Amino acid sequence: MAEEQRKPKKRMTATKAAASIGPMVKEFITGTNRARAEGKRKLAYTFIVCHHEEILRAMDVLPVWTENFAGICGVKRAAERFLQKAESLGFSRSLCTYALCGLGFDQWREELGEMPPDAPWGGQARPDFMISSGQILCDPRTKWYQAAQQFMPDVPIYNIDLPHPLFDPKKDHREVWGYYHKYIVDQLRGLVSFVEEQTGKKMDYDRLRELVALSDRTWNLVHETYELRQAVPCPMGTGDAMNTMVPLCFMMATQEAYDFYVNLKQELEEKIARGEGEVEDEKYRLLWGGGLPAWYALNDFNYLNSKGASFPAETTYRMVVPIYEMDIPETDDPIEHIAWKWLGYWTHWYDKARNRPGSEPDVERLIEYIENYKIDGVVMHLAFSCRTWHVGLIWQLHQLAKIYRPIPVLMLGGNGKGDKVQRELPSLILESDIIDITSYSEMDTRNKIDAFIETLESVRQTKAA
Amino acid sequence: MPEYFAGIDIGSTMTKAVILSDRIIAFVIGPTGPEQRRLADKVMEELLDKADLPLKALTYIISTGYGRINVPFADKQVTEISCHAKGVVFLFPGARTIIDIGGQDSKGITIDATGRTTNFIMNDKCAAGSGRFVEVIADSLGIDLDRVGDISIQSNSPAQISNICTIWAQQEVAARLAEGTPVPDLLAGVHRSLADRVVRMVKRLKILPDVIFTGGGAKNKGLVQALEEYLDAKILVPPEPLITGALGAALLGKEIFHRAVSKNQLLETKPRRLETIQIL
Ligand code: SF4
Repeated sequence: MAEEQRKPKKRMTATKAAASIGPMVKEFITGTNRARAEGKRKLAYTFIVCHHEEILRAMDVLPVWTENFAGICGVKRAAERFLQKAESLGFSRSLCTYALCGLGFDQWREELGEMPPDAPWGGQARPDFMISSGQILCDPRTKWYQAAQQFMPDVPIYNIDLPHPLFDPKKDHREVWGYYHKYIVDQLRGLVSFVEEQTGKKMDYDRLRELVALSDRTWNLVHETYELRQAVPCPMGTGDAMNTMVPLCFMMATQEAYDFYVNLKQELEEKIARGEGEVEDEKYRLLWGGGLPAWYALNDFNYLNSKGASFPAETTYRMVVPIYEMDIPETDDPIEHIAWKWLGYWTHWYDKARNRPGSEPDVERLIEYIENYKIDGVVMHLAFSCRTWHVGLIWQLHQLAKIYRPIPVLMLGGNGKGDKVQRELPSLILESDIIDITSYSEMDTRNKIDAFIETLESVRQTKAA
Repeated sequence: MPEYFAGIDIGSTMTKAVILSDRIIAFVIGPTGPEQRRLADKVMEELLDKADLPLKALTYIISTGYGRINVPFADKQVTEISCHAKGVVFLFPGARTIIDIGGQDSKGITIDATGRTTNFIMNDKCAAGSGRFVEVIADSLGIDLDRVGDISIQSNSPAQISNICTIWAQQEVAARLAEGTPVPDLLAGVHRSLADRVVRMVKRLKILPDVIFTGGGAKNKGLVQALEEYLDAKILVPPEPLITGALGAALLGKEIFHRAVSKNQLLETKPRRLETIQIL
């Protein structure tokens, strides 16, 4: 691989808030290492999108987000040696590369008894315990820590199972979600007992209630802030959102996260008032329709920006609706509330999908963003190693094209006159991986982007009023 | 004075160039070497020779393909997706789907009734999805690439060849040959294997007739047959399937030029000079 490809190029951000994320992430990674050295707080390996951070923070447990550390290795183009390490241990390269990177790193750290040389940002701290999570498609979330236990046999694991009712066009999910709720509440209460045992402390439920309320406020604020991106021109794109996801994925239930979005909201409002867009001359508004990004190639967003393309919305890393708009039962019990929030999040588009023949919740989400954000085209990234978020993306595009044709264009009819017909949105599928840079070619990716831009332009030219 | 437009398509394996006025005046096809800038000059010289025109007679030049940025005299660069679509619709006005199998990649393009691209998909990562797959096997069997199509259509019982990796497939073919599998069956198996891989990819798009097959792969009758079978559709092949990209580039140049004239706009062009480039 050319040396050029190894060197990360700094991505230009459109907002000051996004530019401030690097030091923030660095601080929470070095913070976990400091805490490890001080030995006062317990550290837990865990996963994002599990709605359990309030429980951990209420008990003063410091989460070590293993997906985040692998992502950082990706951004810094430093994952390869950890992936190779994992492969040399017999793990297949086609497994989730976050997991491989983490396992390679852990084995190396345990073997040396210290951080591997040149570990990004001081490396990933050794945990006191690990909280895995059974989620519908992601097997690494259960198996990753079991595998890591080979190198850390003294570190216990607790698994929380977080199911949600699957979509059935003929059934109302509310008929069964009470059972799911009961099960999830049991799982979360089990987590509380486990953490109590590990920390030797009792859960302070008043504190938990406060943190859950803080999380809810942040959740609503993120939604309101991101909705500002509906403005034309769009003040902040997906490239920046891949930074501003940090507080919402890794720092929920902290005042710092809330304050971050207060500042971001203000910054976006100011940009909108000045008519300032993510790109100077906004020509195309694109939806990041899914897939985790290629973390080492975030610069591709800048490349798209340079062609006049802005990304007002993405389906990755965002809320669905504010809590106050969520159709979930009210409760004073913070654990029960967390469980309802979980169910509300996953079932949010079910009603809409039931009302449109041939639709599915994920397709409804695309349609909602396309309409609300005035989208001209959809970009997706198929990261080969993460099945969880990537299985079904192409199918979603197919369904979308079948049931939703939002662009009126003029076509030459049989009579030689221009006929107005509705056509589907153009789409671009990028293929590589979240952190395995060997799956990526900048030249090919940019060639595809160029062709996509030409397609968008040609649609623009045939667009009928 | 007649207007002439040129398109030059620098692909990963072959370079193609076309000069057009109200019809195709001349075209050339030559192998792409590592020094693409020098090659672009050479191909253009040959093309002008064939057309009996001086370089300055060319009104507008568009380059396309992977090496499109390495054409110093091109007035504009356009991707091969748009150019292929343009060229194919010129030859087949009813075209809605294009499958292109080139030396090192393959792609699928869908187009609407106005000849505009609606969607596309490209495989650029693995030789097993490109013409290189057939080339490697032909080479290891010691058969001329031009003959593999004719030989393979004689097969009644195509062999099963994997399409995950070119090197594996090569070993598999060698093993089957040693077992006594006839060469036509092996080649037919290789074509089916490649067709299977390409069809899986293009089926991500909505395939509508007419389906046009372009690129070097379209010269191979065995591959055409295998693709028709896997797609379950009739496939049309242009008389010279390699030049559709270059032809489309020239057509686009013509369109851009006439649009500018109708709007009274001045079009910027590059100096009409073929430089000799020194290679150290
Ligand atoms: S498979 Fe996907 S969701 Fe699961 S841990 Fe890996 S990257 Fe995360």
